Amino acid sequence: MIAATVLALLVLPLVALRGRTLFRYFAVDAGTWLFAWLLWRRIPVPPTHVYLACVAVTVIKLATFSLFLALGKQVRWSANRAALIAAIVYALTIPAMLRAPIDGDEPYYLLVTDSVVRDFDLDLANQYRTRVGTQWRRDDLVPLFGDPVGKHGEQYSRHEPFLALLMVPGYLLGGLYGAVATIALFGVLLVRSTVRWMEDEGIAENAIRGVFPFFALAPPVLFYATRIWPEVPAAFFFVEALRGVREYRVKRWIPAVLGLVLLKLRFVLVAIGIVASARKKLALVVLVVPLLVVWFITGDPTNVHTWRELIPLAPMQYVVGFCGLLVDGMSGLLFQAPFYLFVIVALTSWKTTPRGFRTGILASLLYIFYLAPRGEWFGGWAPPLRYLVFLMPVLALGIASVWDKLPRVTIALVSAWTIGLLIHGVAFPWRLFHEFTGENAMGEWLSLLYHADFSRFFPSFIRLNDAAWWALLALVLFGVRRQRLRFEIPLLALAVAIGFHCARQPGRTIHFEDAHVLHDGGKLYPDHYTLMRATYRGGWVLEANDSVSFLAREGTHELHLITGLGATFEVAGRAYSVGSNERYQTVFVTIPKSGRVTLRVLSGAINADRLEAR
Amino acid sequence: MENLRWIAAAALSAYACHFAVHHTTPIDHALPLLALAVTFLAWLSYPAVMLGVPLLIVAEIVIADEPMRLLAFGAILAACCAITIGAPASSRPVRRHPAGTAMFAIVAIVLLRWIPLDRVLLGREIFLIAIAVATVFVLGRTPFAVAVAVLAALVTPAVPLRTLAFPLAVLLVASAARTFGLPAFRLTWPSTIVLSFVILFFSWSGIVARAFPYFLREAKPPAKRTQIDAIAPNRSATYDVPDGAKSIIVSGANVAHLRRGALLGKIIVSQQSAVGSRQEAPTPANCQLPTANCIDVRIGDAADWGYLRREHWYRAHNPLPRDAAGTVREYGYAAWIDGAGRVSLPRGARRIRVTADATLPADASLQVEGFE
Repeated sequence: MIAATVLALLVLPLVALRGRTLFRYFAVDAGTWLFAWLLWRRIPVPPTHVYLACVAVTVIKLATFSLFLALGKQVRWSANRAALIAAIVYALTIPAMLRAPIDGDEPYYLLVTDSVVRDFDLDLANQYRTRVGTQWRRDDLVPLFGDPVGKHGEQYSRHEPFLALLMVPGYLLGGLYGAVATIALFGVLLVRSTVRWMEDEGIAENAIRGVFPFFALAPPVLFYATRIWPEVPAAFFFVEALRGVREYRVKRWIPAVLGLVLLKLRFVLVAIGIVASARKKLALVVLVVPLLVVWFITGDPTNVHTWRELIPLAPMQYVVGFCGLLVDGMSGLLFQAPFYLFVIVALTSWKTTPRGFRTGILASLLYIFYLAPRGEWFGGWAPPLRYLVFLMPVLALGIASVWDKLPRVTIALVSAWTIGLLIHGVAFPWRLFHEFTGENAMGEWLSLLYHADFSRFFPSFIRLNDAAWWALLALVLFGVRRQRLRFEIPLLALAVAIGFHCARQPGRTIHFEDAHVLHDGGKLYPDHYTLMRATYRGGWVLEANDSVSFLAREGTHELHLITGLGATFEVAGRAYSVGSNERYQTVFVTIPKSGRVTLRVLSGAINADRLEAR
Repeated sequence: MENLRWIAAAALSAYACHFAVHHTTPIDHALPLLALAVTFLAWLSYPAVMLGVPLLIVAEIVIADEPMRLLAFGAILAACCAITIGAPASSRPVRRHPAGTAMFAIVAIVLLRWIPLDRVLLGREIFLIAIAVATVFVLGRTPFAVAVAVLAALVTPAVPLRTLAFPLAVLLVASAARTFGLPAFRLTWPSTIVLSFVILFFSWSGIVARAFPYFLREAKPPAKRTQIDAIAPNRSATYDVPDGAKSIIVSGANVAHLRRGALLGKIIVSQQSAVGSRQEAPTPANCQLPTANCIDVRIGDAADWGYLRREHWYRAHNPLPRDAAGTVREYGYAAWIDGAGRVSLPRGARRIRVTADATLPADASLQVEGFE
């Protein structure tokens, strides 16, 4: 793998760079190898971190190449070269992603593929029974709650079968790797189509080269192009549909829309927008096809969904979902793909943006309208930004159209963060999945490191906190400002430093399931992988002699808990008793002095939700 | 107005770093100074170089392991310096200011010599910077000129005062060479690599300056000091070799003036005569020539324990031990490693007798620090 990586890093510049730019790149490349070697000799890297170090070096070198690609004067650039670069990077990333077993919906798509290949049907009952998933290190696969069941006991998947069918040739050729390679192939096609689309829209080459690495070689497209999800193929079909509409080529965009809606029923909402912008009412017939397919398989045209989901919900849910998609620490653009927030600049220059961008945004409005208020707006058990991946080419086009207006300092900042995301995601692919607790990977890690509540300083719209609104305010200020202050980086540095300083102090609210709480016994509620976990009041179940300790402020606090048995517990040396009740109760507890406090259950059991300072 | 913004940015950056200081080393406490340096480099070159400031803060927060954290600081600063000095000729940023390269040299010298701040000899340091700036101008304000000036300043201990003659000599030679028609060499890439290397290890710049090859060698965990015995000249001591020990750690005391190859003492090894036998072979009676069981310990195998301290280095003639086992002590320009070295023992060594050479000065000794 190391040899393949080194070879790929040598080949990448040969694909696109020429002359002095190529020479300079190789000079910098040699320099970075030299310094990587020096650091390797000097830093006692623990064996568990060797892989992380290798990934870090690879990603930094990829970033260096991207820098030369974007700024170089002698670059041979075309959509095909862009696709080739993406293909090389995806080929390297697939083995890295498959270090961890496939997760989320991935094994279920593959079960369908396996069923098609072996049994020529969509009934997964025998796949579950014979534990087919063992070959992908997933011997724990069972039907999901609510999966359709046939009249004769057939066990169907809730997932639409089109993606599984697309993966059949790849699966036949290379099993799991072949299936992932199929998705990667769609990723390559997506990159090529997007670059061609940008060229068609008249975007300058330097802007395309600048945007390309953020789009093709960075999250979320990179992660979804190397895993089994329908998002990247959907993005490809979406781009093809938009290109077809732009060029008035019905034979191009109708099949693309058909592919899009067959991948996932939810994309019908996008297809409605495309058809509306194309003004071909007859094309609405295409939208019925996926409903018919699903009806044919499961007996219900909406599968596991209901028509009731189309009824608009409470306004606050729209606010939470939409703002969460923008700035949430676990699943928002700000933390998971900050580059795409530059689209704000494009949106504020709406009239001057390319037609394709405007069509793409308008076509996806209905989809976003229905996505935002949903309980799992963040994508559920999946890598971040799952429900927005198909939109990334459109956002990239918009950003490319305002490339020259973007502050370079902010781009540098975003680049550094993206490099970090890439290193983290490639080195620890299993961490792309995160429980919906309101924390994120970074907040959890810092909380564990310092045993203090760092998570409260990361915006969360899953478990709404103050930082969420501050982040939103910062985003609005970024959007409306007109003058370049040159203070972005110092202000960010100051924010990080102050945040670090404050995070080590006790917070107002302590959630007992959080990473900063030291647990001595007890268990998480609800359990890991609980469906729609975000809708529960999370907590930590403590029985007699179990305890938790945490940093807390001096003063009176409200302890929110539920107990079916009644319990006696001790907080900061004082004992409290509560009777049994089927509802959550609030107990006032006093903490005499700020610092580390222990909550110990002396008898009975409680499910401790949170402690709030009054 | 533009410069006022930069001053405000520098102040904000330094304040942010001051807030973030969490660990206790002088390097961590110098974070505000590092932030000022990064801002200055950004002012000289690209504003994006300021990215180094939040990266420094992040490294301070997330890396608990001290060597790794200090190396991370070094890597960030080295990258900032490399971008500033090694950018392509077409957009070479330090050219924006006529004295850009000289300013860069000042920043590099401050980073390399002014930490820890309480050990700075202000008058001498300012004089040294003046010499360095003059050298940069004389050599044509090129990256090569910066490298020469910075390296000359780095290796000048400035204690005692007469050592300032070295950078002055460099300046004189450079002036003479230029007078006689030496062209202004650019040598951008080599100069960038050299400067980046010294900045990478700025947290231990004293060791880079006085024990250069140390950081090119593979890092080994510091040797465990199990015992420290000072053996006077012509005296000996006998030790049982612990199981599994492959080498003995030795150093000298008051031997800094000795040159490479000078004899410090001998190690006479006694082994089992046969596998499974408890009977020991007799100690070689005549140990005139080195053999597997009769090992000479010379300057080069070990060195004077404190010869790398800034105050002692001028008078010292010891080289860095071939297999240095010293512990890194202090930080920045005050950093040094003790002169302990590993001397390999033959396989199966059970007992050794260490004898300090009779020709050592009366106040010198050979120190046995342990086995490894």
